[in-house]
Amino acid sequence: MRPGLVEIIGSEVPAVRDTALELWCEGRSLDELLAACRELDAYRRRETNLYRRVRALFFIAAIQRYHLPAQPGLTRAGRVPHDGFRHLLERRFEEAISVFLRAQDETGPSETLASALAAAHHALAFQTLADQVRRTVRSTRGNAWMFRLGHPEDQPLRVRRELLAPAEEPAEFPLLRELTAVRMDLTHCGWSDIFFLGMDFPEGARVLNVSIDLGVHGRDAAPRPPVEAYFRVIPEPVIRLASVDLGAQAVLATIDDVFDFGRDHLGLLKAAIIAAGIVPPGIERSGAGLAELLAGVCGHGRGFELVSNVNRIPKGSRLAVSTNLLGALIGVCMRATAQIGSLTGPMTEPERRIVAARAILGEWLGGSGGGWQDSGGLWPGIKLIEGTPASPGDPEHGVSRGCLLPRHTLLGPDRIPVEARRRLQESLVLVHGGMAQNVGPILEMATEKYLLRCGPEWAARRQAVATLDEILALLAAGDIKALGRALTDNFRGPLQSIIPWVSNRYTELLIERARAAFGEDFWGFWMLGGMSGGGMGFIFAPHRRTEAQQRMLEIMLATKRELESSLPFAMDPVVYDFAINEQGSVAALLRGDEALLPAAYYEQAAPAWLRREARDLSSRERGDLQRFTRAARNRPEFTRALPALLDRMLPSADGAGSAADQLERMLAENGFDRAQHEQIRTDLRAGRIGLAMNRLPASTRIEDAAPGDLFDSTSTNATLRLAGEAALRRGEVAVVTYAAGVGSRWTQGAGVAKALHPFAKFDGRHRSFAEVHLAKSRRSGREFGQPVPHVFTTSHLTHAAIERRLAETAAADGLEVRLSAGKSIGLRLVPTVRDLHFAWEETAQQRLDEQKEKMRGSVRAALANWARSAGEGADYTENTPAQCLHPVGHWFEIPNLIKNGTLAALLAARPQLKVLLAHNVDTLGATADPGLLGWFLSSGATLGWEVIPRRIEDHGGGLARVDGRLRLVEGLALPREEDEFALTYYSTNTCWIDIDRLLALFGLKRDELADAGRTAAAVRAMAARVPTYVTLKDVKKRWGHGQEDVFPVAQFEKLWGDMTAVPECANVFATVPRQRGQQLKDQAQLDGWARDGSAAHVESLCGW
Amino acid sequence: MKIRKVLVTAANPRQRTLPLQTLIDPRGEPKSALQVVLEEAAGAGIEEFGVVVCPGDESAYAEACGALRDRVRFIPQPAARGYGHAVLCGRSFIGDEPFLHLVGDHLPVSHTATSCARQLIEVAVAEDATVSAVQPTRESQLTAFGAVGGRLVGGERPLYQVESVLEKPTPTVAEQQLIVPGLRAGFYLCFFGMHVLGPEVFGLLEELGRAEPDRPLGLSPALHLLAARRRHLALSVAGRRFDIGAPYGLLFAQLALSLSGRDRDRVLTQLVELLATRAD
Repeated sequence: MRPGLVEIIGSEVPAVRDTALELWCEGRSLDELLAACRELDAYRRRETNLYRRVRALFFIAAIQRYHLPAQPGLTRAGRVPHDGFRHLLERRFEEAISVFLRAQDETGPSETLASALAAAHHALAFQTLADQVRRTVRSTRGNAWMFRLGHPEDQPLRVRRELLAPAEEPAEFPLLRELTAVRMDLTHCGWSDIFFLGMDFPEGARVLNVSIDLGVHGRDAAPRPPVEAYFRVIPEPVIRLASVDLGAQAVLATIDDVFDFGRDHLGLLKAAIIAAGIVPPGIERSGAGLAELLAGVCGHGRGFELVSNVNRIPKGSRLAVSTNLLGALIGVCMRATAQIGSLTGPMTEPERRIVAARAILGEWLGGSGGGWQDSGGLWPGIKLIEGTPASPGDPEHGVSRGCLLPRHTLLGPDRIPVEARRRLQESLVLVHGGMAQNVGPILEMATEKYLLRCGPEWAARRQAVATLDEILALLAAGDIKALGRALTDNFRGPLQSIIPWVSNRYTELLIERARAAFGEDFWGFWMLGGMSGGGMGFIFAPHRRTEAQQRMLEIMLATKRELESSLPFAMDPVVYDFAINEQGSVAALLRGDEALLPAAYYEQAAPAWLRREARDLSSRERGDLQRFTRAARNRPEFTRALPALLDRMLPSADGAGSAADQLERMLAENGFDRAQHEQIRTDLRAGRIGLAMNRLPASTRIEDAAPGDLFDSTSTNATLRLAGEAALRRGEVAVVTYAAGVGSRWTQGAGVAKALHPFAKFDGRHRSFAEVHLAKSRRSGREFGQPVPHVFTTSHLTHAAIERRLAETAAADGLEVRLSAGKSIGLRLVPTVRDLHFAWEETAQQRLDEQKEKMRGSVRAALANWARSAGEGADYTENTPAQCLHPVGHWFEIPNLIKNGTLAALLAARPQLKVLLAHNVDTLGATADPGLLGWFLSSGATLGWEVIPRRIEDHGGGLARVDGRLRLVEGLALPREEDEFALTYYSTNTCWIDIDRLLALFGLKRDELADAGRTAAAVRAMAARVPTYVTLKDVKKRWGHGQEDVFPVAQFEKLWGDMTAVPECANVFATVPRQRGQQLKDQAQLDGWARDGSAAHVESLCGW
Repeated sequence: MKIRKVLVTAANPRQRTLPLQTLIDPRGEPKSALQVVLEEAAGAGIEEFGVVVCPGDESAYAEACGALRDRVRFIPQPAARGYGHAVLCGRSFIGDEPFLHLVGDHLPVSHTATSCARQLIEVAVAEDATVSAVQPTRESQLTAFGAVGGRLVGGERPLYQVESVLEKPTPTVAEQQLIVPGLRAGFYLCFFGMHVLGPEVFGLLEELGRAEPDRPLGLSPALHLLAARRRHLALSVAGRRFDIGAPYGLLFAQLALSLSGRDRDRVLTQLVELLATRAD
């Protein structure tokens, strides 16, 4: 007899414990799966072992998400209780689960409720894991005291005497400098450095980690420890912070300032001060004064300055620059306050461990999170980092199988000979590919798959663990060629088996082109960190390495140019020079003229000093200025800072002018309507339009659609199907894909054409949304003997890129593809504070965990200040021109076909054309399905809409009777948010359009389409009848070296679904299967989409 | 084992006048701090008194010894080379026998009829071991004292086996190395300024002094070594020590002495009056 799921989780026998959930679920009935969920729920409530509890939660989540919906007998449509949803948003997961289970008892199981239960259990599982890591971080020895300290009088830390200058020379405080390496991971054994994995599966948590010095090839003279942190006492009772790379400075005068992470770009420095215990976490909101606290630590009337510098190493390098910077900052603060014994020189092993533990704490405080190997730059040279089983006495004992902190084994020359190290350095080309990525979802996927023991992934994980020994042996033997092969195999094999999304089109092309350029001399590819595209390694035969450095830069630049409209890049690629750092983190005490901060520090600070009278300068400022002047006379790096310093004093306006010109040009070229824009601004400022005004009146009656209101497309109807097939054979159908958007959620506002994003592999290689849609049309054409014309509607943001790409692909295989260029454009506005508050406070928001919530609060306060200071309703122009413009909603897409002549051209080429199928670019399952086409043709309606039974993640309105009329209603137009939860069906935005009836609705006929004046007037008249919504969109602003800020900006839009509210428009509605109507809005959905069979379904619709 | 001698260190050049400060003892008699310390020892049965002082302080200190003046031998510390070095200066006075060691800037106040020094000596004699008096101290004051890590021996007394000794640790270090099971969270066993030491401590001090001749020599490193080599116990004495060198230390010591003696009501009354009439 097969063991039950509870037995599997609790088993001490590895073979039983590691049983894959999907294997267990195979062949089970709906009732058996529901019974298993009930049993698991009872088990996880009584079980005390953390990881068993968490595994039970993941089992329930996976059954509800994947295995129940796959059961044919499960009811599809249901409702999510609104109070359960609110609990979920407020992170009250247990309450949410109770509400959903009660609803399941009352109304029976459904796909809708299964999605809600899956989401709640999934979130509770991650919350439980995160809480445990936090508790462990807090209770780690050496950290706990900081959470007890609540009053300045209790602060026991004192700055070392060596850092306090003689009283008569207050300006001459010595400078403590920490120089720290960054780390590369040769292999991380399938993300086994995630805390959760290391703490549950310590024997599988293994990393080969190398500390390196870095320089940018062609820019820096030689590699050096890239991370620098400086600490010095100052004669002012404040904390001064400066990040040289970010060009940011701040003076912290209160304790609240220290805990305000989001206010500026100095959150990392603040987290370091807190994690180092100088302003301990326990003192937050105590009402104590910072000066009082500093008086105890540094002496009366004194404070300190903390300066960071990463020597312009770009963000996202996958070399853990920020964690190692945090480590360096914490290290220098702990040295200064005698928490570690060594004031100067390298740290001892216990010292490195406590700094690493504090860095974990600092990352938690700052609301971010790294892997447990990330502070590897504190250690010297090459080391093996492994999970450690928890033993009695460890705070983790009895809670998790492994400890929070791993064990570091330094691999000295006896394990990795000097010659082998040299060979590695002579073959490796280290690069930053320039892509900006969010690794967070990947880490969640890896954790979930591990806990579910998904079959192929679990086998891959075990293979990856074994690979490490192979890699270690090859490195020790100095066989770099074989090492390159093993690393490539690891990337191609285990890593992509566990998470297919670690690779992307860019990476694949780079590997392909490196191989083409260097043939046998290209020895291998090496992924750094959580995913590829950013920091990466390419291994070459040593005699060609120098050539490869130059060539790889060219290849990367060319490939980036090719793909930059479809993949999110944060910066141009760079090639690094590197050297193994055999020191780890090292400190030095600098006095007198040696006590110099980085040259760029003076570049940024000196202009403000020079603008003031000499007598007004403080003694610190005068001292700094004098020291800098002396340094500028005889140190080249300081001499070089002088012109930049003068530039800062007399800023040039050249750059700003050209950007403004370009924006004006783009507005003019894309049909910007200045008069309409001014009207919108006036209305927005006056409060006539805004987020609150998007809503229908509160008295509006909103009712759910009744079952008889829609056609159920899942029931087969041979007659309709035959009618549809006949229409397809006659060539009466064309497909329209909305491709004007830039995937605000898909790439978090990176501004790439979503249609061109090569998001997943089909038929052996990465394909974009546009390619998939064309493949479906291609297949349809082959099946019915008539090509299906395909139109992509574009915008100023996407037109050129899509045109270029489709010219390359579509023309080659005879597809009839047209682009419909959008000629409506808006200029984004700085939002009103009123709308910001409405968005943050009046609409349902996902509550984040404690620290992230604090961070978000702080960022929001800063954004509200930005809106006030930039001017509410002012034109948003502080970004690249493309990011300042916005498309004006998909309502315009179909009317644009009429206006811009595309429809006329289509009809001219194919007069028999009767129906358009319009859909979103991310609705991958949408096809010209004969059954649905037959239904629509038989309905006699103008527009036919496809809806799907709602899941909890489907937000944005749905099908409703609004004051008695069956129509689609947008979520932002519903009078109350909870109204949405009473609606069973969610709109897919896939729409069948009867061309002639639509033209009639617009007051047009086919032969009038050539009359531009008439079509424009018809569109304008109809546009006036549909509502205009104000929305806030997150827009990225890129700056510095791969840095990004996100701003919410106001824009307006009209939506096609509102055509259902136009009285004389005849609409019909059909419910379609989830696989047809599912939209992909977020890259985090990809894994679930692949696992639930949707990807395979889409593949089955395509013809390549 | 008999403890006959006491070695008092009072040679801190920055605190030369501290032992000379006058306090009122629990019986209402004015005494110097040094005299209070020496009488603590005398009350515990000590017969010979040695005080390590800065050169030149002998006569002033002799004046401050009260009735014990003639029984005290002053030992000058030629140069300020650390607390451990001051103890080492007493080697010839102590000779080859166990002794009581007190610091001149800490005043002990017992919570029982038995003085702190007597409590300590009784345990040392009973256990035939080196014993340091300790007091559970909040982590916020850790950086003012030496502290020990170890485990409870058991039995009726709050007696601990010392495993490590660190001088003025930060709480970061203390949490990693000095956790003592059974103590309240955030409390550590810190020195009371009172030890019963064997003569072997001099050998250890000498060894450490030779290893790092240029650094000030502390007592805690020697006690740390001692704990690794011999049985070293720590007794949480029923009393409190007052560091008169700390800000307001002398005031608190005086209050503690007064409130434990004859003039308790008088002092309390004055305090209440002070509290009630505070001017803005």
